[in-house]
Amino acid sequence: MATVEIYRYLSVDGQAIGLDPEGYLVDLAQWSPGVAEALADEEGIHLEEDHWEVLRVLRDFYGRYEMAPAMRPLVKAVGMALGPDKGRSIHLMRLFPGSPAKVAARLAGLPKPTNCL
Amino acid sequence: MMSDSDLEAGELLVILRHGPHGTSWLREGLDAALVAAAFGRRVSLLFMGEGVGALVTGQQAGPLGQKGTAPTLEMLAMYDIETLWVEAEALSSLGLAEDDLMLPARPLAAEAIERAVAAHPLVLTF
Amino acid sequence: MKLHIVNRSPASSQVHAQAVTAMGPDDRLLLIEDGVQGALPQLVRYFEDIPGRLYALREDLEARGLVGRCDASVQVVDVDGFVQLTEEAEQTVSWY
Repeated sequence: MATVEIYRYLSVDGQAIGLDPEGYLVDLAQWSPGVAEALADEEGIHLEEDHWEVLRVLRDFYGRYEMAPAMRPLVKAVGMALGPDKGRSIHLMRLFPGSPAKVAARLAGLPKPTNCL
Repeated sequence: MMSDSDLEAGELLVILRHGPHGTSWLREGLDAALVAAAFGRRVSLLFMGEGVGALVTGQQAGPLGQKGTAPTLEMLAMYDIETLWVEAEALSSLGLAEDDLMLPARPLAAEAIERAVAAHPLVLTF
Repeated sequence: MKLHIVNRSPASSQVHAQAVTAMGPDDRLLLIEDGVQGALPQLVRYFEDIPGRLYALREDLEARGLVGRCDASVQVVDVDGFVQLTEEAEQTVSWY
C-alpha cells in the first residue's frame, strides 16, 4: 500500500489521530474504541452494541483477509458471525446509513474498501 | 469428463497466468474478479501456467514484508467466487497435485479449458 | 467465435500455447507485435492445431522485415482487417 498523506487530525483523549482525505485512519494501529466513537460522532452515529458487533466482524475480516470487504461480502460475513437476521443489508443500512461498507470500515479502523465504488 | 452444464457457471471468466510476488498481474486479476463479484456477477477463475503458483499452500509475505495474495484467495468464498479451475497440465508440469493447493480448484484438461472459455461471454486474461 | 490476440513470440514465451489451449473450434488467432514471429515457417508449427484460423498483422510484419517471409498458411491482415476480425468476433481475448 502506498504511503498516505495525513489530511487532517482527529483529537481523541489528547492524542492526534491522522486521517486521510476521506476520513480513514492513516496508521491503522492507532485505532481504539475511543477513535471509533470520535469517528462515529462525525457521522452523527451513537455507537450501541449492534454497531460494535459489526465493527468486530469487520476487524476480524481484515485480520484474516487483509482487505476491507465490499457490501456483499460484508453482509455475508455479518450473517455468518451474528446470524441471518443481522446479515441483511437493511440492518447495516440502519446502523451505518449512506454507504455501510465504507462507513463501517472507517469506524472499524480499516482502509477504504478497494473493490467498492 | 465434465458435462457442459458444469461449465456454464459464470458470466465472467478471469484467467490468471502469473504467480504471486513477481508482478502485480495476479493481484490485478483478483481485483477485477472481486469487483465483478461485488456487483453481483457470477465469476469463475482459471489458473493457467505460472498462475498455478497462486494456489500453492504455505505462502507467506515477501522478504521485505510485501503482502501476498493468499489471504485474498481465501477471501474469494466471501465474494461467492467458488468456481475455481486449474490447468491440469500446468499443475503436473510444476510437480504439484491437488493436495498441494490451498483451495479446492478443479483440474481441467485442455479440452475442458477450451469449453470453459467458450461458455463464458466475457473472458479476461491477467 | 472469439478472437484471440497474441503479442509474444513463440521463440521466447509459452503465451501462444495458452491461447491455443483456450481456443474453441471456430475461434481465430491474430499475431501482433512480437507475436508475428510465429508466422515464420520455422515457428508456425506451434499453431498446427488451428488450421486456417491464424492471422498476422501486416503493419507489425512490415516493421520487422518479415512480411515476405510468412508461412503460406498464415493470413496477413492490415489494420482494417484487424478491425473486421474484431467486429466478427463476439469478444476479443488478449494473451500477453
